Amino acid sequence: MTSKTSPHNGIPQLSAQIAPLLLVCALVFALPLILNNDFLLNKIARYLVLGILTVSLALSWGYGGILNLGQAMSFGIGSYAMAMALKLKTIPVHTGSGGLPDFMVWNNVAQLPWFWMPFKSLGFALVAGVLAPALVAAALGWFVFRSRVTGVYVSIITLATMVVLNLVIIDQQSYTGGFNGITDLAQLELFGVAFDAYGRATYYLVAGCVMLSLLVAFAFTHTKAGLVVQAIRDHESRVRYFGYDVAAYQIFVFALSAAIAGLAGMLYTIVMEFASPTFLGVQISLSVVVWCAVGGRQSLVGAFLGAVLVAGMQGALSESAAFLETWTLVMGALFVLVVLFLPKGLAGLAQGVWRAIAQRRQATQEVAGTVGQTREGSA
Amino acid sequence: MTRHLHLRDISVSFNGFKALDGLNMSVGKGELRCLIGPNGAGKTTALDIICGKVKPSAGSVSFDGVTLEDMEEHQIARVGVGRKFQVPSVFRDLTVAENLEVARARRPGVWANLRWDARRAGREDIERLAQLVGLAEQLEQSAAHLSHGQTQWLEIGMLVAQDAELILMDEPTAGMTAHETRKTAELFVRLKGRHTLVVVEHDMGFVKAIGDVISVMHLGQLLAEGTAAEVEAHPDVRRAYLGSGGITNA
Ligand SMILES: Nc1ncnc2c1ncn2[C@@H]1O[C@H](COP(=O)(O)OP(=O)(O)O)[C@@H](O)[C@H]1O
Ligand SMILES: [Mg+2]
Repeated sequence: MTSKTSPHNGIPQLSAQIAPLLLVCALVFALPLILNNDFLLNKIARYLVLGILTVSLALSWGYGGILNLGQAMSFGIGSYAMAMALKLKTIPVHTGSGGLPDFMVWNNVAQLPWFWMPFKSLGFALVAGVLAPALVAAALGWFVFRSRVTGVYVSIITLATMVVLNLVIIDQQSYTGGFNGITDLAQLELFGVAFDAYGRATYYLVAGCVMLSLLVAFAFTHTKAGLVVQAIRDHESRVRYFGYDVAAYQIFVFALSAAIAGLAGMLYTIVMEFASPTFLGVQISLSVVVWCAVGGRQSLVGAFLGAVLVAGMQGALSESAAFLETWTLVMGALFVLVVLFLPKGLAGLAQGVWRAIAQRRQATQEVAGTVGQTREGSA
Repeated sequence: MTRHLHLRDISVSFNGFKALDGLNMSVGKGELRCLIGPNGAGKTTALDIICGKVKPSAGSVSFDGVTLEDMEEHQIARVGVGRKFQVPSVFRDLTVAENLEVARARRPGVWANLRWDARRAGREDIERLAQLVGLAEQLEQSAAHLSHGQTQWLEIGMLVAQDAELILMDEPTAGMTAHETRKTAELFVRLKGRHTLVVVEHDMGFVKAIGDVISVMHLGQLLAEGTAAEVEAHPDVRRAYLGSGGITNA
């Protein structure tokens, strides 16, 4: 056996897989050094946040085989958790008596509703922004996966659940700000650092969370549990006969994915300076699916870059109004093309090219090696 | 011999058709039992009942005193039942090593498998297993790229990795060359004693090479039981195989 040269002990393989991830993180951190434009950095931070959201989908869809069409629901919950806390911190000019949010005053709400109370604590909001989406996902997953719902039905249920929550938020205007969302927020302040949406601190906060999300997702996919989740994706029923409780693994990856999406949602509120029901809308939820497919759903870095590149492209092109209308068409076409010709997305393409180069290099080395040997032999 | 595995009066019907019709069968601990019978006799369904894939409409299954028929598939697996399917079922997008690793389910819970050290420990075991089933060179290859025979071997390796006390094999040598079949027979003989095996097989040569006791099924019932010679001489068995070219060509 050739265990010396092949990556049988798993270590070289692991470092080869984590290298692109660290490289991307380094680039994200280095960007402000060469880009001295706060407006542009804010825009890029937005795309990075959408990248985190797409990584969360890659985890459930690419690794777990669960196509969550309501991924933006977790994103929205995180976003509202952050917005509620920051709304309660706004200076009294913008709020009613006793710190009551302005839109509640306009809607004749006399007292802060009970579910707003805990958000007076920023610590609670930060935990809730990650934990609440995870718990909602776990509860939904418990019903869905325990009753062995699979495939397209899971997608429909997740999409429907998100639409319902979206409608409830719009409908309950006096408690949620309704269609307008929650605006006029205070700046986040943590450990004496103020996170201005257009400041470097916010950019680095986002960059740090990019790295954190990628590393957590990477770590999970490389545990045995992550492997079992991939086995479930390949052949769900077979996994059961090895003694694994399939539903438990599906609920876990579904909830982990929701937690990361919740983190992205919180950051989105900071970068955008408001929360809106559109954050948990169908449009963004479907966009995430396209970004994930374009980048490569079975690659965390691929999914991340897919989002940053496609969303960035959209941002750049949307300066011209004529193009904005055709954008939906472009997105649709892109999705169809990728599904047909690049089932593993850009990441799959990159891997293929990389492998071809490596093989070629190996082949030339082998030729050089034999030439060297024959020379030695004749000498 | 103690009643290690016991099926009592099992009946199953699919849309009114009785695939199993009062099946009774016992297998002792450490035994290698071959299960034969003409096509459609209900052999696969019998294995499905044991591993929980199909629930019986009547009757009960007990394994080491544990009643199986009301348990979920993963719970049945956890009490020590492993299953190889007629159509080889492996994880095609995972490598050979990863397939074996999934099968090696010592601690099947989610939390236990989130630990980083959970994977390294089994590596040597997996390399040894791959060698056992002749896939040492393919360890890092995706299972989708294996030949049919290799896929059969991989699934057999996965069952050894699972280390279940009771192993159910459904036509394990289908698609194998004569040489591969012989190797499989050797492996099964080695496994017997430490594991209890129930093997569904068509190839009588293979059955004779591995089996002590042979159970013959017909029309969802147990028709006869005994050594190869006894079974072949049994008048009911001869009648059941009539028209299908005799027992050897079933
Ligand atoms: N899921 C099913 N639905 C309907 N009929 C089935 C199903 N599974 C098995 N059968 C029928 O039950 C009978 C027994 O099948 P099976 O156990 O596969 O036989 P064997 O493995 O002995 O060839 C066959 O007639 C088959 O057509
Ligand atoms: Mg069969």
